[in-house]
Amino acid sequence: MGLEKFDPTLVSHDLVQDLKWNPELRAEFERDEAAVLDRYDLLPAERAAIEARDFRALYDLGFHPYLGGQLARLIYGNDAGDKANFAVGKLVESLQGDT
Amino acid sequence: MAEIVFAAGAPHAPGLIGLFDAAGGNTQAVVRDTYTALAREIREAKPDVMIVFANDHLANSRVRSYPDFLIGMAGEHKGPHEWFKPWIGCRDYVAKGCPDTAEALFRGMNRRGVRMFAERENLNFDDNISVPVVITDLDKTDIRLVPVLQNCTVPPFPDQRRCYEIGQALAEIIRDDLPAGLRVGLFGSGGLSHEPGGARYWFIDEEFDAWFLDLCTEGDHARLLNEVTIERMEASGSGGTVELLAWFVVLGAIGERRGRGFGYTAHQNFKCGVGAVNWPMDAAGQDALQTAGQGAA
Repeated sequence: MGLEKFDPTLVSHDLVQDLKWNPELRAEFERDEAAVLDRYDLLPAERAAIEARDFRALYDLGFHPYLGGQLARLIYGNDAGDKANFAVGKLVESLQGDT
Repeated sequence: MAEIVFAAGAPHAPGLIGLFDAAGGNTQAVVRDTYTALAREIREAKPDVMIVFANDHLANSRVRSYPDFLIGMAGEHKGPHEWFKPWIGCRDYVAKGCPDTAEALFRGMNRRGVRMFAERENLNFDDNISVPVVITDLDKTDIRLVPVLQNCTVPPFPDQRRCYEIGQALAEIIRDDLPAGLRVGLFGSGGLSHEPGGARYWFIDEEFDAWFLDLCTEGDHARLLNEVTIERMEASGSGGTVELLAWFVVLGAIGERRGRGFGYTAHQNFKCGVGAVNWPMDAAGQDALQTAGQGAA
């Protein structure tokens, strides 16, 4: 898996970068994910993939893998130890078709 | 005429700091030996300014408008960026900037046909700059920092040959544009093999890493340019290993010379191979490597 499917027009790239850069948005995402997603012009399949934590589907749509790792940490945890490793595990499970 | 007095390439994996205590003894020893040696070499070389090339990691620009090179021109550089703090697990820092050198680099590159961008505000630094600064305590010295964040992940991006050419332009700028007597350090921050965000996130390609480090210590630039292609790096970890392109900028600037390694570790929890190379810039350092039998350029 590489960058061959990468599509720079996907709006979900903006979503992940905004979540990184804006702690208030990040807090809202944790509280009310749907409300945040409502404000982004996501493709239906893009939104469904995010809501289902289906990284495989998101990558197939053209999502950048580096931001995929960060989306996993935004969802599952971002500390240097167990939480980030849990996030990596969930991401890899999805990409390898184990979920 | 300024001069290059220090040159190195080294990984910036966040685990080097945040996961260090949980690593095994051998891994800890390699990490400690490597970065202690680099910190010592930096201090002994006495650079006035350290120019660090590193993967931007999509931390500063939208993917739709992504610069290949972004120079940090701020008077001081603060990090890590807020979101990355728990992930890296490192202390805050404020490194002295060097706007004059950053401006000369920006001006000189654009005049030489290398399109770079520059920002006077503090950039968002993740592990790319934060790890080398904190692990060598660069911020606790008088050495001023010029970060150059580069595009290693948003295709199309400059390949190894273009990065090497940009390194050659960098050498020209240091020689012809920077003030006489200025002592310059060059640091390529990134690698070794890893695949952040990919299906092989835990994969480390030890064979690739050993081969690449050998080429770097031998100073065989023809083989590096011919064989360490984007495709080869991608095969050893998509989206991560290619940040070795930062090393190619340094290699282009210093020309063929031997390098010194400090060991290697492939600790899975770091999710990245770890090994560094320092290229001595003086004749005595090169002679010492030859006497010791390290490198073969």
